[in-house]
Amino acid sequence: MSVVPERMRVGPNEVEILRREAKRPGAPTFLLLHGINNIAAEAPFLGLLAEHGAIVAPSHPGFGASPRPADFDTMYDLVHHYLAVLDAIPADKIVMIGFSFGGWIAAELAVAGHPKLDRLVLVDPVGIKLGGREERDIAHLFNTSPDKLNRFAWHDPANRPSGCYGVGWHSAIGDAMSDAEMVTLARNWDSLCLYAWRPHLYNPQLKNWLHRVAVPTLVVWGASDRIVTPDYGRGYAGLIPGARFETIDEAGHHPELERPDAFVERVARFLGERGKRNLSA
Amino acid sequence: MELWNHCENPYPFVPNEVLEEAESVRASLPNKYCDPNVAAQLYDEVFDEYRLCDDIGINIVTNEHHSGINNLWAASPVITGVVARLTRKVRILTLGTLVTVRPDPVRVAEEYATIDVLSRGRLEIGFVKSGATEMVSGDANPMLIREREWEAIDLIEKSLTTQDGPFSWEGKFFTHAHVNIWPRPFQQPRPDFWAATSDLPTCAELGRRGMVNTLLFGGYDRTRQAFDSYKKARIEAGLPAPGEDRFSYMAFAYVGDTDEEGLRIGQKIAWFLTVSIKSAPQFAKFQPGAIAPEMAPSAWRTGASRRPRPTNLDADVLVGQGQMFAGNPDTVARQIKEFRRRVGGVGHIIMMTRQGLVTHAEAEKSFTLAAREVLPQLQDLPPPDADETAWLARREAAAK
Repeated sequence: MSVVPERMRVGPNEVEILRREAKRPGAPTFLLLHGINNIAAEAPFLGLLAEHGAIVAPSHPGFGASPRPADFDTMYDLVHHYLAVLDAIPADKIVMIGFSFGGWIAAELAVAGHPKLDRLVLVDPVGIKLGGREERDIAHLFNTSPDKLNRFAWHDPANRPSGCYGVGWHSAIGDAMSDAEMVTLARNWDSLCLYAWRPHLYNPQLKNWLHRVAVPTLVVWGASDRIVTPDYGRGYAGLIPGARFETIDEAGHHPELERPDAFVERVARFLGERGKRNLSA
Repeated sequence: MELWNHCENPYPFVPNEVLEEAESVRASLPNKYCDPNVAAQLYDEVFDEYRLCDDIGINIVTNEHHSGINNLWAASPVITGVVARLTRKVRILTLGTLVTVRPDPVRVAEEYATIDVLSRGRLEIGFVKSGATEMVSGDANPMLIREREWEAIDLIEKSLTTQDGPFSWEGKFFTHAHVNIWPRPFQQPRPDFWAATSDLPTCAELGRRGMVNTLLFGGYDRTRQAFDSYKKARIEAGLPAPGEDRFSYMAFAYVGDTDEEGLRIGQKIAWFLTVSIKSAPQFAKFQPGAIAPEMAPSAWRTGASRRPRPTNLDADVLVGQGQMFAGNPDTVARQIKEFRRRVGGVGHIIMMTRQGLVTHAEAEKSFTLAAREVLPQLQDLPPPDADETAWLARREAAAK
């Protein structure tokens, strides 16, 4: 088992990944697609999730220690990059878990389809437009004050685990944060902006294609999320054939960080339900 | 040397308690605080000042900023078009419409060509990179704006200079299949280009392109370094040495009857720095692309969440730093000549005079004195002496 980031070649590119081996034969492989910040090796949910399968958690190009190749600056690039990641992972059945911004990438990938993709878990994903033209579905991460983002993103900002940042990360800036962490947060923020400034955190066409998702899907939502609300989540899940929607109490935009035990329990239960093409079919 | 009047047409009439409470005085301050009757009066006053400048030989600069108390010139091409018809003689510099928030540079080229024709060739075209609240009010991605700005400039230049179009453009940031602007510009091959920057690599690029490099309040050292970067780049590219008309500097300026009056009214200009730049952290130090990631630790660790307001803005301090020219006409002429010596030559001084709480009458008085008593003292100056400039720079460095 390793929690030290490794490097992985993906076509012409190289990315940083966190990897944990499976504890038993036949366990699934989880591909984790992170949100606005790369997944911290010390995130408590990683150890809990590793009880149920192997973990591959890459940093998107431009995030963490993953370089961003020249002219790699759209969701189109990310989707094709991750199709190549799926090709490269030595596993037959992959459970893809996408968080927040990574949930958007995961939804795009599931629509595109990949033979190794076995199940999909979306955790407070963004990526689609549901409301009217004067309704904002997704808080504008760059135009909103850091204080407000912090309040909107967490059930209680005091629950943010040490070394994990998520939305509202600005509020964690202080003596405890190293310069290296700040440089990484700044890279992440710049890259997110490049990929997602406008339309802000969604693809206008994606919702029309969610019917193409052909794997069992669980949509998990923090009940206190005000970056994207549970109502948006219900709407999102409703567009994916057979998807199940569940909320986790006392969690905001990052239930995996705020309620790691409850989050992993939901994922484990979902994995235990085998044999159906989708869960409510 | 030429003098220019740069007025941003600020709106300093929002109650202080509202400004204190607001997270930012730009981008997010609701426009209910802008009374259109007051704005109309301000437009009248500043356009009258422009007419006066046309009579007395001071050139005019327009610009634009959006959604804030600092500037009512919301669309530089519109304002510049008005100025083109209000005036008959002076040159007009647009500095400029924000090409990084405009979706189609071809439209910008068309607007500028139109102004150049209706002013019969008195237009100069300036570019600014923009950033901060402007990206928010323009809903423009703040990442890669330097690259986007250069592509916009290239496309505008080709649009202005192509006479046997249409041509096609398929760049990284802009595509336009059928570019063919009418009218074409009055000046051939095109109006002169300017850019406002103190970024040394950008200054070098301006040098290679022969664009006019203007700095805004850069002070002695930064301005000299910028101009040196420009000159060095031309030498390295094997290009002829630039004339002084390639260099420009914007400073706060007030010309009074006496030094006391110059400094006293000059002090009112500081509103620009004390009040009109208040901005929220998400529009400033946390805006993506605002600083290189490696600079984030020092930027983020400093100060409160809001951009700290400058404290020592005494007019005499600003004068000492070369950021303000203020006093009686002889004093101001001496300050400008000293500045010119210390930066190694400058052909244009842009005066920011009608700023902050400076009144219409006060502005007109300063322009009149500047034209009548300062400008004649700035003509036929001996060429700048590079050795003397270098010596002055060493002396200043030693004093620090």
